[in-house]
Formats: sequence, C-alpha cells, structure tokens
Amino acid sequence: MLGLGIESTAHTFSCAVIEKKGKKGKILSDVRKIYRPADGEGIHPREASRHHIENSSLVLSECLDEANIKVNDLDIVSYAGGPGLGPCLRVGAVVARSLASFYKIPIYPVNHALGHIELGKLLTGATNPLVLLVSGGHTMLLAFLNKQWRVFGETLDITLGQLLDQFGRSIGFASPCGKNIEELAATSSNYVTLPYSVKGNDVSFSGLLSATKSVAKKSKVDACYSLQETSFAMIAEAVERALSFTRKKELMIVGGVAANKRLSEMLQDVCKRHGAKFFVVPLKYAGDCGSQICWTGLLESQIKKGVSLKDTFVTQSWRLDTVKVNY
Amino acid sequence: MKLIKKGAEADIYQTMWQNSNAILKIRKTKNYRNSSLDSKIRKQRTIKESQIISQVKSFGIPAPLVYFVNLKNTSIIMQEIPGTPVHDLSESKIIQLSKTIGKLVGMLHKNGIMHGDLTTSNFIFFKNNVYVIDFGLSQNTIKPEDHAVDLRLIKEILNSAHAKIMIPAWKNFLLGYKSVVGNANYVKITKLVSDIESRGRYAQVV
Repeated sequence: MLGLGIESTAHTFSCAVIEKKGKKGKILSDVRKIYRPADGEGIHPREASRHHIENSSLVLSECLDEANIKVNDLDIVSYAGGPGLGPCLRVGAVVARSLASFYKIPIYPVNHALGHIELGKLLTGATNPLVLLVSGGHTMLLAFLNKQWRVFGETLDITLGQLLDQFGRSIGFASPCGKNIEELAATSSNYVTLPYSVKGNDVSFSGLLSATKSVAKKSKVDACYSLQETSFAMIAEAVERALSFTRKKELMIVGGVAANKRLSEMLQDVCKRHGAKFFVVPLKYAGDCGSQICWTGLLESQIKKGVSLKDTFVTQSWRLDTVKVNY
Repeated sequence: MKLIKKGAEADIYQTMWQNSNAILKIRKTKNYRNSSLDSKIRKQRTIKESQIISQVKSFGIPAPLVYFVNLKNTSIIMQEIPGTPVHDLSESKIIQLSKTIGKLVGMLHKNGIMHGDLTTSNFIFFKNNVYVIDFGLSQNTIKPEDHAVDLRLIKEILNSAHAKIMIPAWKNFLLGYKSVVGNANYVKITKLVSDIESRGRYAQVV
C-alpha cells in the first residue's frame, strides 16, 4: 500500500511517500522545505503559510519523483489536521483535498503529535513505551491505555522547544535555536542557579525563561549551559516520576528537541537507573516531516475508509489525548 | 537492608529502628544532574519532607512517623506503613477511597500545605485508614493557585492512570474536598483549576 503524507503545521512543509507491507513501512521519499524567519525573530504564521504555498508544488513533485511513483499510484493521502498554526495547516489541507478530489484518493486527517509517536515506534521498534514528546509545540509524557494516549505529565505553560527558541532569539539566534544553544552550552561548566519548577509529573518553564534572560546579560555562555542543565534536569525528573508511576520498561523520545545530545545523555542515565530500554527517534526524523503524517494515515487506513471532503477539517488546538486509536 | 522500591527521586529500603520495622528513604546523587543543582535539590527536599511530615501529623493527617534525618547522605528513616498503595487497589475501592483522599487533601490545604505530588501511589491504604506519604515536593503555602496545582495534578493522574473510573473518582474526590474546605474555597479553587488547564497547550478554548 502506498501513502502520501503532507505536513504543514509550523515551519516545515513536507511531503513523504511510504510503502506499507503488513506491519512494516518503508520510507520511499521525504522532502522538506523549511521556512526560516530572520535572526532573532519567531515564526510569522502568514509568512510561513506563504512560504508553504510557494513551495508546495515543488515539494510534492520532488517527493513523487524521488519515490519513483505517479499520483495515480497512491492508495491514500493524509495531511496534518492539527495542532498547529491555522494558516499553515490550511496549506497542507488544501493540497491534500485537491489530490483527493481530483484523483479520487481516500483522504485522512492526522494528528501531528500522534504522527511523531507512530513514526518513532516504526523507526525505533519500541512496543509499549512511555513517550516523551518534546518539540516546539509539545512537552508531554504519554503512555497508551485503553485505546488512547494518556497524558501523565506535561508543561503547564510553554514547551521545551519554545523555552529554547525564545531564549535563543533573545540573544540573537534564529529559530530553531536548540542546536546553537547546545553548542554554546558545551563550552561552559559554570552553573548559575535558576528556578527549578517540577510539580508532580508536570513542569513549568516560564519563570526559568525570564530568569535565564537576565543571566544572559552577564554571560551568554553560562546562561545557555545553566538553561540546558536546569530544564533538562526538570524533564529528566518528570520522566523518572512517570516511569516509576507507570512502571513502563521502555522510554521513547520524539520531537524536535530529541535531537539534543545532552538531553539524550541524561535520559539514558535515567533509563539505566530504572532498568528501562531507551529509544530515540533518528535525528533525520526527529523534527516535523511528512513521514510522520503518512505512516499514521496508513495505520488508520487499516480500519477506516477515509473521510468525506466536508469532514477534512483543520484544528489549531487538537489535543492528542482526545484521539481514539483503534488500529 | 532490602531495597523495596526505586522511586523517582529516592531509593526505599526496609530497615529497623529500635526494634520496629522502618523505611529508609535515601535520595542518592543523580549523576546526570549538575552536581550543585543536584545537592541543592536533595538537601532541600529531605529537609522539607521531614518538616512537613511532622507538621501534618500535628493536625491529624495519617502519615509515617519520622525517626531520624541524616542530611549528610540526605536520608530519612521513618515508620513503615505496610499497606497497599491506592493505585494498586480495585477500581471500586479507588472510587470509594477518592472521597477520603479528597478530605485529606482538603485538610492539608486548610492547614496551609500543598502536597506537590498527589498521585494514587502516594496514598497507602492500611487497616482501614488512608496514609499520606512522600512530601518531598510539599510547601507551606496558603496561595489558592498552589492548592489548585495540587488538584489539577491528581485530576491528571485519575484521567490517565485510572481513565476508566475518572468520572466517579473525581466526583468523589471533589465531594470530600468540599466537605472540608467549605463551599466558598471549593468554588474558588476549582475555578483556578480550570484556569490552569486553559493555559495548557492546545487546551479547549472557545
């Protein structure tokens, strides 16, 4: 079975083709174009959606060429229905609807966060993990129970990705800033005390963001180091709490911040202590990509026939824990 | 000493204290954490936990007796409560005990204490009594926002780990809570719980 997935929730416009055989999936192509705001600035939804519109046909045709298939070969098309930025989501949905109605291909709206998890499971081989989803849009600890992903802990305000990006922008980096911060942090070992806020399995980052900004006035390097140490230790503690509470024997980390090596290193240590297996999604597929949408759509197609065009919604706030998973 | 649980923060051992069974809770160094942050957290929580356990006992919350605190290795020796965590009880029993838990949380809040880690594993059912344990994240606070954070946490746990019985359990919890803190406080704090939820990511907003 051949599926096309279209991702357009935020910075990234991406199309991917996956071939599904039984429980196995093979990524035939995954093409991306990423909108880059100016240094020190955040994503502008209108500009991002314009970027997506301008690049959409190019990305789509490149993706089909690379997979060496034609639109007619596709069995399904899926798109990210949310959560994300309204104007951006609409671009992906329009492309998907056009293909679906013109070529009569079944269409599936997919939850973007669920996409991160399903692709992570496909690529890492994790079977029943506690999932840490850390990205610009999410900071959540999830476990699967009674056909739904349940939230065992999450951020009470901004996400880990936002924390890093907003701080990074304040010292002049361009979003996404995680990599720059990681590099700068690696050159310091001078820890400045910052607010550490763990509430049960939940974390809160907004106070930490303001405090780090004021540390940066004295030393950007120390600020980056201390920010990473504090926020990652908070995440690691929340993970430990959730591991010990759910008694899961696997931890899988997905989402853009999964690319950070220091975070992985800390979580690996946590897993060792709790006798849990550690899985991290491969770097190339940590961030937003068409494959995550495509694979989840293919999984859904096992039990659903697709939705009619009038139900091809986009929803800016579509929480993962409201999605029923029946496949 | 026998290791009985590797908790999130601390290792729990079974031990003896002057001829009675006791628990040794030791917060060991976490190598992944920056060492100055690590020692600060371990020390702070050991002190807080032992202080607050003694406080809550003084106003009648069933909690373990603290026998000995060692700040050098950040450990506490306390009474063993040989019961079952509420988390592991039958669903009908959890629904029933939710009311008692609500009352206990109400008593804590009424006396100016937030627990900070309200999960069903931190309530132990023993001899028809519910004991409260694990005060490592507790704080002396009368701020309604802090109390609301407590409620939102137990709600999240019921909604995830006990999703099947969430509705009756949460209803019973609130009944118990209200009966202790009174209607005015109850209304104020449950309103704040909704406020916190609405600040969450992708919360349902109108």
